[in-house]
Amino acid sequence: MNTRTNSTPPHAEFFPPATPPPRRSVPWVRLRNDLLELGRVWPVIHNMVSQELRVRYQRSFLGFLWSLLNPILMMITMTAVFSKILGRNEPAYALYLFSGLVPWLFLSGSLTDAAYCIIQNEGLIRKIYIPKLVFPVSRILFNLVNFLLTLLALFVLLVPLGAKFSLAMLFLPVSIALFTVFVLGLGIGLAVLNTFYRDCGHLVGVFLQAWYFMTPILYSTRDLETIPLFVKLNPAYPFIAQFQAIIRYGQMPSGSMIFASFVLAFVCLGVGYAAFKSHEDKLVFRL
Amino acid sequence: MPPSNLMKTSLSSAFRTKYTRHDRRSATEALIELENVALRFVSYHDKQYSIKRAVLNLLLQREEPKPVSEFWALQGVNLRIGLGERVGILGHNGAGKSTLLRLMARIYPPTHGSLEIRGIVAPLIEMGAGFNPELSGRDNIFLNGALLGFNRREMNERLEGIWAFTGLEEFADMPLKYYSSGMYVRLAFAIATEVEPEILLIDESLGVGDASFVDKAKTRLKRVMEKSNAVVIVSHDMDSLRELCTRGIWMDHGRVVDDGPIDRIVDEYIEKVRNAG
Repeated sequence: MNTRTNSTPPHAEFFPPATPPPRRSVPWVRLRNDLLELGRVWPVIHNMVSQELRVRYQRSFLGFLWSLLNPILMMITMTAVFSKILGRNEPAYALYLFSGLVPWLFLSGSLTDAAYCIIQNEGLIRKIYIPKLVFPVSRILFNLVNFLLTLLALFVLLVPLGAKFSLAMLFLPVSIALFTVFVLGLGIGLAVLNTFYRDCGHLVGVFLQAWYFMTPILYSTRDLETIPLFVKLNPAYPFIAQFQAIIRYGQMPSGSMIFASFVLAFVCLGVGYAAFKSHEDKLVFRL
Repeated sequence: MPPSNLMKTSLSSAFRTKYTRHDRRSATEALIELENVALRFVSYHDKQYSIKRAVLNLLLQREEPKPVSEFWALQGVNLRIGLGERVGILGHNGAGKSTLLRLMARIYPPTHGSLEIRGIVAPLIEMGAGFNPELSGRDNIFLNGALLGFNRREMNERLEGIWAFTGLEEFADMPLKYYSSGMYVRLAFAIATEVEPEILLIDESLGVGDASFVDKAKTRLKRVMEKSNAVVIVSHDMDSLRELCTRGIWMDHGRVVDDGPIDRIVDEYIEKVRNAG
């Protein structure tokens, strides 16, 4: 064999000696760099989200109005079903239901999307360098936009459903922000998990269904004598209950609830982010 | 002052003022630096890497089974590509040329070794990577620009040049899915060359389009190569390599076999191929 394997680069003499490899930087520096990088690719995220919204409504006559109209129609249908067929003839119940269901749909939609976001963007990931965090983040932002629009629709229906606007609603942005952080943490964790173990995608649907019934959305803890353990330990409960307290009852959520959701949200984001970052490099080989 | 020296200083000062992100690095540093880089591909095709297997392995205390197939696409690659170098990579099929290019484009992370890239990289590896067929031509320019690290304003300034080269302005608002493949390639090429990247990576992309486009593309490419700080080309076309490059890297079985002035490398390579044939 005439293969000369070179241990030193042939042009070594023309160059100054190699700089030492970058030292493992401290976590917060890496975090800052990540955020900077994410900021740089913000146009990409923005583009992905807006494009998704556009594709969804293009060529329909009412266009973007559908995103508002759809949830309104859904809620009217459900109110009709519950009041006429099931005989729960109380608009308050409908209001309670929606105040929990709307945020839940954000959670389940985001997680389902996030689970497949890396796999679906295989083409892009294999062809061009892009921070992979872009994909789950843009999926969750897309769902967040829908969530906010649905919430807006709910507010349109608030008066017909017999609710009053209250001061507590001013706290809603905080609840939404905390909930988004929580969903983001779960979403990025799930994105990386499902890329490595494709089975997860199948489990997500079933798991979400079970989780849905374990969360007081259809029923209320106020109707139960004791709060069951699965509700107490349910990580979605503090978030959903906040929305219910604010929208249905017009009350500020309790301090312990806010604190619990705050801790949960950031622990979730931290774990999800760490999981994602530690596997980000290997993702391209698993597609 | 000798002219070559003059050019170098003007280039390096432009480099330093234009991109403040790297302001603390001196321009004499290599733009692309690979140190003992190895890349392993693992294929799990036959047996899915599934949760079942992972759980069973955990429960039964089994060793992680050997992957079905693994191979080292790159091994022990040491490279430093500095300011103003035009590097041509040659070698037979499967020698790791494209993989090396993808590594430089940061698509693949190295399994071992360290890789440092300083500057904006424009990969012309796959035409139209990062295009969205649903979006209009103009929106795709912004999307592609964003992927390369340029914001909307910066791309707006370059819009004129892109339309001038492609002649596609009248189709600016048409979704990309209705573009012909020729139009597609023209747009992709125009964007990647219009952004004046610091590092330009090209993978045989000259062989596309009709003859007049290829000529136009070559002229444009030469102009861009003069402006960019480093160029790496993978090609089987020895003549264009000779014409465009100053330095050649010969790859074989994932290793750098030889590295030197392009003419010597091409001659040796042709000699080797002839002898082998």
